[in-house]
Amino acid sequence: MKNGNSLPREIAPGIFWLGDCLEQQHKGMTYHSYNAAFLLIGDECSMLIETGHPKDFPEIERQMIEILSHNRPPLKHLFITHQETPHSGGLGRVLQNWPEITVHGDVADYHLAFPNHKSRLKNMEVGDKIDIGGRQLIAVEPVIRDLRTSLWAFDTGANALFPGDGFAYSHYHWDGHCGLVAEEAKSLDLKDVLAVFAERALYWTTTTDMNIYVDRLEELIADLHVEIVAPTHGLPVTDLAATMPKIREGLISEGSIIT
Amino acid sequence: MSVSSITELVAGKVYALHNTFELNGRISAYPEKARGFSPANCYLLIDEKAAMLLDTGYTAHEDAIIDQLDSLLDREMPLSIFPLRINEFMSVCNTMAIAKIFNVVECFSNVPNIEDWVEFETLRGKEHNPILKTTLLGRGEQSQVVLGDQRKIHVLTAPIRLISTRWIYDEASKILFSSDMFSHIWSDFENNPWQIGNNETDQVTDFKFVRSYLLNTRYWWIEGANTKPIRNAINDVYKRFNIQTIAPGYGTILRGRSHVERQFNVLDEVLKKLDRQNILPTYVPRGLER
Repeated sequence: MKNGNSLPREIAPGIFWLGDCLEQQHKGMTYHSYNAAFLLIGDECSMLIETGHPKDFPEIERQMIEILSHNRPPLKHLFITHQETPHSGGLGRVLQNWPEITVHGDVADYHLAFPNHKSRLKNMEVGDKIDIGGRQLIAVEPVIRDLRTSLWAFDTGANALFPGDGFAYSHYHWDGHCGLVAEEAKSLDLKDVLAVFAERALYWTTTTDMNIYVDRLEELIADLHVEIVAPTHGLPVTDLAATMPKIREGLISEGSIIT
Repeated sequence: MSVSSITELVAGKVYALHNTFELNGRISAYPEKARGFSPANCYLLIDEKAAMLLDTGYTAHEDAIIDQLDSLLDREMPLSIFPLRINEFMSVCNTMAIAKIFNVVECFSNVPNIEDWVEFETLRGKEHNPILKTTLLGRGEQSQVVLGDQRKIHVLTAPIRLISTRWIYDEASKILFSSDMFSHIWSDFENNPWQIGNNETDQVTDFKFVRSYLLNTRYWWIEGANTKPIRNAINDVYKRFNIQTIAPGYGTILRGRSHVERQFNVLDEVLKKLDRQNILPTYVPRGLER
């Protein structure tokens, strides 16, 4: 997917969206999705959020080096939402190639997957903060998640939420959605693309009443005054008032698939 | 530290490669408050002309797993690798390390180009990893592969799962390889024998314990869910196959029909009580212990 890759893209001041698309086959259709990473630029240092899919790490690293080369503060921290390899598969290579970096989040399992680097793992709990100068990254409740060890993060600089597996949906490559934010992808049918991910990766969301999770998600968004959502798999959301109702509709319909 | 051991499940046909880790609140597969030790289990299925490895273990156990494979397998024997949870480190960490040493002829996967999913190292200069041949398995409920000339290996989409997960049933050994399910028996001791035999007592499995284990691990969401289709799918597996041994991807192996019946019965009872017909779903915050 390197040819024609639309990323990186600065989606808010100091937040760069990194990665590349992954093809997904679903019911005879070819969808694209992201296993994205984000580069957060502070006044004193920079932070990578997620490492991307193992296949994407060389491209993510190239994008990151290019962005940082423009007189930006050095990379010091990595935050990971959880242990699945499309989120954390590049962890070993980040630690190997960036010897000063520390890893933050719920750091379960990483000492077994990357035993040479266990001294650089720093555990976080909900409410813990990392200051990178002019902005903080706060660990927050992972409302929609898979592994019990998930954490989400919130950036105080741009009021951006990094929800990992929350807001997980594919997009239409054939309609030019790659690299667009959700509001720019006019033909994006969120009900359709949320269902693609639900069947393949978030099976549990098809078995339960998702109203309670969407209610809690909206509470979190309101409490934190979230203005932008930077999901690992979906397209970033820059207008919550416009897009959140569609997300709600899509997630709730997932919960009624299995009857 | 870690303790490595091998359990012979069927002589010459099926071996469990155990490598332990400490339960210290830092293992995502176990409840945060679980303490003691448990093994990550890889399973080696051997036939006359070919072998298959289910899961490849954590990097921390790489050397031990290579040694275990060396003790059981000629390095030239055609070996296929089948990670049962493609997104989890416990299943995939050592895929490349094994492929560099053994004659890995194919990898079974539900995703194409498996080498894209199992590359965790920085390659420098002219370094390169083996190209892995991916045999793509569909996302249907069940399919079948053949080991050697005629050994039927049934591949099932796990009827209960959090993430993409496969169960395997091996007709020759009558073993169900259940990945993350039935994984709830660990030990205070690192050098535990990681199996409970037909005539031994399972002192752990009961309704209360299994319910708590599910809710405090990856099935945190299942209270108040629609569990009927899940129960039906599990029951279909139970009825369809003559399961004599349950071999989980981590935790203790259960051998003998009486253990199999008990495990399926308790699981079904737990899922029945957790069904939305009996209990309303509520939001489950991170870290809630039940």
